Amino acid sequence: MSPEYSGKLRKKIDEIVTRYPKKDAALLPVLHLVQNEVGFISPEEEKLVAQALGIKPMRVREVVSFYTMISSQPLGRYHIQVCSNLSCHLDGSDQLIDYLKRKLGIGVGETTADKKFTLSTVECLGACEQAPCMMVNFEYYGQLDEARIDQILDRLI
Amino acid sequence: MVKVYIDDKAVEIDEGLNVLRAAKANGIFIPHYCYHPAFAPEGSCRMCLVEIEGQSKLELACSTIVKEGLNIRTRSPKVIEARKAVLEFYLAEHPLDCPICDKSGECLLQDYYEQFGLFNSQFKDNKEKKEKRVKIGRNLLLDRERCILCTRCVRFLNLVTGTGDAGIINRGLHAEISIYEADLIDNNYAGNLVDLCPVGAITDTDFRFKTRVWFLEKKESICPLCSRGCNIYIDFHPGFPRVKMSRRVYRIRPRENENINQYWICDFGRYNYAYLDEQRHHKILMERTGHSLGLSWDKARPMLSEKIKGLVNLKKSSRVAVILNTRLTNEELFLVDRIFQKELHLENIFVANPQPGKDDGFLLTEERTPNRRGLAEIGLPALAPDLKTLAEKTDFLLIFGSDLTESSSLDAIKAAFDKIRTKVLLTTHSSSLDSVVDIIIPTPVIAEKSGSLTNVEGRVQEFSPALEFRGDGLPEWQLLLDIAKELKINHKYFWSLDSPESIRRQMAKEIPFFNR
Amino acid sequence: MEEKILTRGFDIKNLFEIDVYLQHGGYKAVENALLGMTPSAVLEEVKKANLRGRGGAGFPAGVKWSFVPQKAETPKYLCVNADEGEPGTFKDRYIMSHNPHLLLEGTIIASYAVGIHLALIYIRGEYEAIARRLENAIADACERGYLGKNILGTGFGLDVIVHRGAGAYICGEETALLESIEGKRPYPRLKPPFPASVGLFQNPTVINNVETLANVPLIILNGAQWFVKKGLPKDGGTRIFGVSGMVKKPGIYELPVGTSLRKIIFEYAGGMRKGKKLKAVIPGGMSAPVLTADEIDLAMDCDSLAGANSMLGSAAIIVIDQETPIFEVLKTVTKFYSHESCGQCTPCRIGTSWIHKIVERIGQGDGEEDDIDAIIRLASNILGKTLCPLGDAAALPILSLCRKFRGELEERLPR
Repeated sequence: MSPEYSGKLRKKIDEIVTRYPKKDAALLPVLHLVQNEVGFISPEEEKLVAQALGIKPMRVREVVSFYTMISSQPLGRYHIQVCSNLSCHLDGSDQLIDYLKRKLGIGVGETTADKKFTLSTVECLGACEQAPCMMVNFEYYGQLDEARIDQILDRLI
Repeated sequence: MVKVYIDDKAVEIDEGLNVLRAAKANGIFIPHYCYHPAFAPEGSCRMCLVEIEGQSKLELACSTIVKEGLNIRTRSPKVIEARKAVLEFYLAEHPLDCPICDKSGECLLQDYYEQFGLFNSQFKDNKEKKEKRVKIGRNLLLDRERCILCTRCVRFLNLVTGTGDAGIINRGLHAEISIYEADLIDNNYAGNLVDLCPVGAITDTDFRFKTRVWFLEKKESICPLCSRGCNIYIDFHPGFPRVKMSRRVYRIRPRENENINQYWICDFGRYNYAYLDEQRHHKILMERTGHSLGLSWDKARPMLSEKIKGLVNLKKSSRVAVILNTRLTNEELFLVDRIFQKELHLENIFVANPQPGKDDGFLLTEERTPNRRGLAEIGLPALAPDLKTLAEKTDFLLIFGSDLTESSSLDAIKAAFDKIRTKVLLTTHSSSLDSVVDIIIPTPVIAEKSGSLTNVEGRVQEFSPALEFRGDGLPEWQLLLDIAKELKINHKYFWSLDSPESIRRQMAKEIPFFNR
Repeated sequence: MEEKILTRGFDIKNLFEIDVYLQHGGYKAVENALLGMTPSAVLEEVKKANLRGRGGAGFPAGVKWSFVPQKAETPKYLCVNADEGEPGTFKDRYIMSHNPHLLLEGTIIASYAVGIHLALIYIRGEYEAIARRLENAIADACERGYLGKNILGTGFGLDVIVHRGAGAYICGEETALLESIEGKRPYPRLKPPFPASVGLFQNPTVINNVETLANVPLIILNGAQWFVKKGLPKDGGTRIFGVSGMVKKPGIYELPVGTSLRKIIFEYAGGMRKGKKLKAVIPGGMSAPVLTADEIDLAMDCDSLAGANSMLGSAAIIVIDQETPIFEVLKTVTKFYSHESCGQCTPCRIGTSWIHKIVERIGQGDGEEDDIDAIIRLASNILGKTLCPLGDAAALPILSLCRKFRGELEERLPR
């Protein structure tokens, strides 16, 4: 990370810190910010965040490693997260996951060679009335079938 | 005080205590992993569940504070069943490492299984595989499969050392203890993690694979390596050297003392125990040109006393000099004072100590001897040895310990010593000083004798031998008393002193500080 | 018939824009409360309304508010639990995306009643667009004087922060939510002490679900009695039932508390999909023990469900058909809890995964004769022994599936 970039990032972090009564509370929003900007949280980002908040890098890693939405590994440009919980499972999410595996040529938890897609399964997305669902980055897509998946992925550049 | 009932027995408990400690104070043990008296209750291990009348669910003994009239059951069928259930969960994912695990014999999983488990394993699936030999500190290895996630290590590093080196990463069954990248735990208290760990997850490379704990005996002692006076256990093999073990002492562990070291010792005190066994003098030696002659104390004692007596009779008692160190016990320093200062009126009493070190902000003091305060309270001078004075004004020099070599070069010492007729060295270890003295008398280390020491805060601590002294010499208090009796000085006074206890009683009569 | 008191107006276009909201009577409740009632009067009204928590636990909101000391030396906080992680639940998503200002009104009135000046909306990370919508709504409300230092010139001030989660079901548990906000691993805390005395940053804190707070303006506008009459004496108002699974019309249905489960499934949600028959129903989110096809003549209120050894929970109804093997349900349930176990306490950390491992093994064809017994034994061993309710939330549904559908499950095992 260039010093200029980390400087910019640091400014944004400092702004977030001002919103909270205690500095520590800014950790999760700061991690969202950094993940959004950088794509993932590597040790370099952990140390940057740690310094900005005045805490030890270990505390940052403890939090980073806990949450499913914070990634310590780079992800594809589009993170396809298919819900595998009950209502979606009842409506055939297993078959859709298999379809995506075949279509993208990767397994669950893997990224395509061109770094475009990462495929994950996730727990309930809170859109059960539209089962089966998936979330691509932060976009929700429901009532999926293979055709609709094709349609959605084709539109992603 | 409040009155509570534990297993149908009415007991009086200090207010504010938790049920776990209340039970302990009444001889009832409630199993637990995550609870440690040094930290606030954590409540995550679930081993200490007990039944409390009026509550439908089992409650944690560690976080329930006693209240008047509380009715606690620690052995009801519900509690027994719960303990088995929780224990079974621990053992399900625990590797069957007992045959190769150092903690075997002092492991709380083993112990609780023996006391509260004794069921057969019903786990038919595959246990999680994790890293088994992660270096997390200079002497520390982490086995992630054995870890039961009690988090004592994490909390110790957050709350006691404040270094925050360890944490828990990942979630659920994949949760594990970790350090940050390769940032090893690197403070002077890392060794305490091994004691804290209830199982064999954190092991000490200093102890790893060296012996089995059931071969060792533990005895109480006081660490003599600085002036804090931390209370310790010495774990040693009692059969050594008759039984062929590689060494006598295997490790030092902290002993709880609420006022001095709480539950901890520093790594400096923990790992520097080689001195107990290595390079020890065993024989009384008299140096003649070219060779050493072995002596017994029966022969040496009159020899030394004659020399001193001779000088005293010639009114030349000022030609006797003494070099002390502050590893000597209160009783020994008291005798030095009474014999050499009060009775013989010696002028040249010096103190030669090891160099001070750095204070670590917690237990380890700058002063690296255990009884500097004792010397001060007894009223002995603390002058550094003056080699010139020694050379010019001394015919008989009695040296306690070989620390003189730390402040002066051997050549300078030799030059001075060559001018002194008789040099007697009372020491525990062989050193370069051996070559410039006439008589060497081996003495026991603190761990091998009785007495008391005064720590930096002025606390007087009595101690008894933990290890056997295997030399031909005697503890310094005994040597001094023997010499006093040979010199026939103040017969009535010295004849009544025959043990450290009796010397202590006399000290209490004469010095208010020691009468508390 | 559907009783739309809360979801009334959800089909009004752009209701989330403050001008549209104001046009339709928005912020009247805030005006009534702040300008016409004392904080304790507001609290009493909500208490009398018997508004039960709609996040899962069903604890009366007014009573919870009254646990917070009136006079406190430290700031007090309100945390809005918008984590909505209970599988099957999606009602709060609707409320926040269609009518965020209703939630803000409830937040303002609740804060006024308890003496709180900072509220944090803890919204699950996946609801990113909704978080932004909330932030816009807050900015608009500030601009119009409904939030900020001196609301409606009363001297009462309130700030609201939107705080996004990052994918952890455990953060729906109130003390884990607090730990998460504090920037730590979201491990639930020991209770007591309860958040009302020791909460966010150790200060007195109220935590309420989105739907619970969204009902507060209605209570203020129409009165507690009106609210109680909409539902049951001990359980006032309506519930937004979220129906999903093998029904014709999955979606939200706002109905009086106490509506029959059968009615909800077969009348409102259109009944089973073509050709499908009902086998089982999960009535209150995945943590609620399952009901069989002949147990659905049940009034959907907290007490009736408890009486049927299940729970109303988040009122998320998942309908399972005959063709779906119960084994698949069990597999999904055990996978969920083992994945979401935070790992702090041993019975849940080890137990949920142990059970899942057994179920996986059965799924691969390597089941053993006593596996169902083993699962029942392990789930019973987790029950009541964990630090937080997730242990029970895992154990109870697993036990209900194994006990009520034992025959079907054992078909997968060797004799």
